[in-house]
Amino acid sequence: MSNNYTKEDSGYTMTTVAEEAARCLLCHDAPCTKACPAGTDPARFIRSVRFRNIKGAAETIRENNALGAICARVCPTEKYCELACSRSGIDVPIDIGGIQRYVTDFEQQAGMKILEKGKSNGLKIAIVGSGPAGLQSATTLLEKGYAVDIYEKNTKPGGYLTYGIPEYRLPQNIVDYEIKRITDLGATLHLNTAIGSDITMDQLKADYDSVILAVGASEAKMLPMFDDQANVETAVDFLARVKDAKGEVTEPDNVVVVGGGDVAMDVSTTLKRLGVKHVTDMVYEEFAEFRASKKELAGTQKAGVTIVDGYVPESMTGNEVTFKHRKIDAEMKIKADKVILAIGQQVNTDGLGITTKRGEVPFIGYQTQDPKVYVTGDIAHGDKTVVWAVRKGKEVAEEIDKTLMGGRQND
Amino acid sequence: MINKDLGIDFLGVHFENPFCLSSSPVDNCYEMCAKAFDEGWGGVVFKTIGPEHFKIDEVSPRFDELTKEGTPFVGFKNMEQIAEHPLQENLDDLTKLKKNYPNKIVIASIMGTNEDDWVELARLVTEAGADMIEMNLSCPQMTSHAMGSDVGTNPALVKKYCAAVKRGSDLPMMAKMTPNITDMVPAAKAAMDGGADGIATINTVKSVANLDLDKKVALPIVNGKSSISGFSGKAVKPIALRFIQQLRVAAGMEQLPISGIGGIETWEDAVEFILLGSTTLQVTTAVMQYGYRIVEDMKNGLMHYMEEQGVDHLSDLVGIANKNILPAEDLDRDYKVYPKIDWDKCIGCGRCFISCFDGAHQAITWDEKTRRPSVDYSKCVGCQLCNLVCPVGAISTGKIEMKPGRQGNVEDIDIESVRLTH
Repeated sequence: MSNNYTKEDSGYTMTTVAEEAARCLLCHDAPCTKACPAGTDPARFIRSVRFRNIKGAAETIRENNALGAICARVCPTEKYCELACSRSGIDVPIDIGGIQRYVTDFEQQAGMKILEKGKSNGLKIAIVGSGPAGLQSATTLLEKGYAVDIYEKNTKPGGYLTYGIPEYRLPQNIVDYEIKRITDLGATLHLNTAIGSDITMDQLKADYDSVILAVGASEAKMLPMFDDQANVETAVDFLARVKDAKGEVTEPDNVVVVGGGDVAMDVSTTLKRLGVKHVTDMVYEEFAEFRASKKELAGTQKAGVTIVDGYVPESMTGNEVTFKHRKIDAEMKIKADKVILAIGQQVNTDGLGITTKRGEVPFIGYQTQDPKVYVTGDIAHGDKTVVWAVRKGKEVAEEIDKTLMGGRQND
Repeated sequence: MINKDLGIDFLGVHFENPFCLSSSPVDNCYEMCAKAFDEGWGGVVFKTIGPEHFKIDEVSPRFDELTKEGTPFVGFKNMEQIAEHPLQENLDDLTKLKKNYPNKIVIASIMGTNEDDWVELARLVTEAGADMIEMNLSCPQMTSHAMGSDVGTNPALVKKYCAAVKRGSDLPMMAKMTPNITDMVPAAKAAMDGGADGIATINTVKSVANLDLDKKVALPIVNGKSSISGFSGKAVKPIALRFIQQLRVAAGMEQLPISGIGGIETWEDAVEFILLGSTTLQVTTAVMQYGYRIVEDMKNGLMHYMEEQGVDHLSDLVGIANKNILPAEDLDRDYKVYPKIDWDKCIGCGRCFISCFDGAHQAITWDEKTRRPSVDYSKCVGCQLCNLVCPVGAISTGKIEMKPGRQGNVEDIDIESVRLTH
């Protein structure tokens, strides 16, 4: 069944992408373009596709977004550009993510090199973490002429892109290609290097003009009732293990997933794609207040997952978990071969010299009290999606540039 | 299901319906024509038969298409010439078709290289049992300059060859005209003077549709090179209708019998050709794209149109629109009509604003906050470009106003069209 886990749904062809682009109304003041957190301009790249300028479309996407091919696949567009789309006034929004995927796939096949390194300004920046925010800030800084070193504690770069999002939704070769683009531009990756144990923050601050912390929320949350239970795994561990094994894993027939966000949807759908017979997802929220994107939810339902909404886990005895409804007097007991917890992630700030509150630094902006140290990505204030990571990556780079170069153009 | 008589007489021959295959790859042999008859076509103009001595040698590949956005076959380019099969085989097919389909109309298209060829071919197809002859004076991709559109643009040759055909046959005959000419009237008059009973038009328009940008060669690429050849399909419909209109209003040709050809693929296209003076209709490109079955919707749609119009005889529709197409200098220029915006339909895309500013008279303003257009009547000239570009049909023709100093009653002015008011 690993085939089913590694297989990405097919994308548009030249003919079908032209048909989809022809549905676009080419609005005067395109609301899609105003709705992208990362500042992508769908109105412009869709117009380029409409007029058969795919290379121009690729430039529009790539010059704005170092992770354009990744965002095309994982962005919850229904909450941003597609929510704003005027075509909804007629029928359904333009499939902006799908068109972006066609264009970025074309860019890759054509071997286009769109990003350009800026003329060196002699300044060096260290970035801690190689997830989406770290990668985007590296790209923006390189474009401005900075030298960039990225420190990653894991053996592979990419953070949640590599270890979290399932292969069928985001093939690893796409992630690898996006990262190669950035290393080709001049970023140096230091893998297997943890801050604190392998190199200290003081050392980084001494060696670099600025340090960006883009460590994300990489650790899974636990609930005390599940501590020391043999057949409980966290979503973070599960998704990383399956992705690393390319789906060549064996799971039991009856698995319960706890959680109602996109991660829970990924875990549940992955289990079905691996051939698990009974997958039951127990969700805290009721459907009306669901956190997962509609697209992810629909995919999970289509995969055949049983979703039960409004229930909170109470206790676990042996292999039996007891859930209680949040609002009505109801109880469910499920015997499961395995329980996977997708109840959120937390930040590990050990050795970084910063404090966080509810997973974020307790201020708005990027520069910390230590003027040499900046934060970005999930630990910075704002939404926790890839598209927001891209936005924050660009913004932290702009703020560093303003501080170090006073906003001067480097030319 | 509606059932109305679509029968019509053309050059003294009765057609059960006006829909015919035009002389082309779509009716190249008995089996093709038989299938087309079975699916409901009223007649076929069998692929042009040439003289035995002229050898047909085709290129490969031989077609190209013009596309736009997601739409294939906006236009179609074709390099194929006339029938490749041996003369006797073609004649046998004509005989067999007429024998097995006595109520269908079999028209023999012929093309010679000289007078003797034309006389002889006319005689042979008459003996074979054809109901009518069409002279192909218009194929733009023949490998001989004594054939095809090079002949059709020369009125003296047209007249001479028409007379030759009339010497070889007493069948009703139409001459098929080329659009690759500024004015078709002299060639058509020459054909009628030579003895033709009617005109078939248009043949294909000489074209280069696309180029391969890497190889710098037009398409299709025939071992590294290409040629100018005939263009057909929806894109040529306006050109065909224009020629037919001009023929029907030329002095002395007001009742000219015409078989209309050029981009017909729907019943609406068919009605347009009939209203401008076509009695029968010929189709190829839409059949190449979709198959013979398209005749079903053309026939059924035409019946519903006749019902809506209260018309029982198709012939009552022939040419009744000719009088409504006038020279530009004869049109009423005393008024203008403003656009009217339906706010329930408007989705705020701003396309009218862009087109009015960039392509018309800057008469639409745009409210950034509400995302809605409004019309500045002091600047609007009433061109209705906004009406055409609106993707949701929210703009229609509205208030009519006389231009300053002009006489007239706005109540009497007629500009309404279901095709412009949505």
